[in-house]
Amino acid sequence: MILDLHTHSEASEDSRAPVETYLKWLQRKRDVLPIDGIVLTEHRQWNPAVDYRGLEDEYGLLILRGAEVETDYGHVLIYGVNDDIARRFDFANVRLPAQELIPAVARMGGIALPCHPGRPTIGLCEHYESKPPLDGVIAVEALNGGSRRGENERVQAVIDTYGYKAFGGSDSHLVSFIGICATEFDDEIRNVEGLVDRLRHGRYRPVDFRDRLKQGA
Amino acid sequence: MAIEFDRSIIGSEFDRTVFDPVTAEEAREYAAASTESSAAEGVTSPTFVVRLRGRRFMPANLPDLGRMGFDAGKDIEFGVAVRVGDVLTAVSTVHDIYEKTGRSGTMKFLVLRTTVTNQRAEQVAVIDQKMMFR
Repeated sequence: MILDLHTHSEASEDSRAPVETYLKWLQRKRDVLPIDGIVLTEHRQWNPAVDYRGLEDEYGLLILRGAEVETDYGHVLIYGVNDDIARRFDFANVRLPAQELIPAVARMGGIALPCHPGRPTIGLCEHYESKPPLDGVIAVEALNGGSRRGENERVQAVIDTYGYKAFGGSDSHLVSFIGICATEFDDEIRNVEGLVDRLRHGRYRPVDFRDRLKQGA
Repeated sequence: MAIEFDRSIIGSEFDRTVFDPVTAEEAREYAAASTESSAAEGVTSPTFVVRLRGRRFMPANLPDLGRMGFDAGKDIEFGVAVRVGDVLTAVSTVHDIYEKTGRSGTMKFLVLRTTVTNQRAEQVAVIDQKMMFR
């Protein structure tokens, strides 16, 4: 099963992509983008009232939700956000303490994973050069569709040193970027609880569809 | 804790300007300058509202956001068309203040929302002007 674990819709202030347009694009590009679902990870926010089940049924794609928050070790994706997590942490705070966040999210039933680790200032790698490594990190986003040259390559050393699992996401803010990078899971995932469980215990790997997209465009 | 400021400023009105009736000459000048054509005789180009300038550009009681940054773009939601003779009213409020971090560090954003209506109280446009401070 292939999921794009890092996407932004128009709910994020720097994206103009409607969720339904993402789904239409994925339907249209099915031959080159074999994506089974997406996870919306809006910046610094969690809205419990949003419900995409109608769109899931209409387009036959899994739509899960998480959040991208900002910490003292860079940006972190949280999957399995619930009321406890949203009450415990102010997602609008751009200086969340990562070493507090990661184990607390795990205790409350979610999982917090550093994204675009190779990016300057907001990526884990740069922070590891001056601060101790974080406890409780399970995986890092080894492949990010929005990274510049060299940023994804920088992550491998951290993965090798600390034994992290690797996943991928498009980090799409525009419709045509959805699914360009994603994560292939060995197991089927039906809901966000399943996603958290598989990210923690399952086997998965980043997948890159950019070349296929260029050839198939 | 996110950026600290008195949140009562959010939603507060800092300008309300009623403009003189839109003239045919203004509509023509704007269309020529923007190279946009009007949908019909007596109707202005769609983006005509961006030429409106209220009396006050910035609120007086802003928190300290750092030294002046730059224009970070506009989002405009268009409503009914502006017609020659319309009397437009623009009401500006502080819509949002937030921080974010990017490759280059921490940035603070101010979003000013201007709602433009005509003499029939119909919504002509909602303009969100973003400014970035560092």
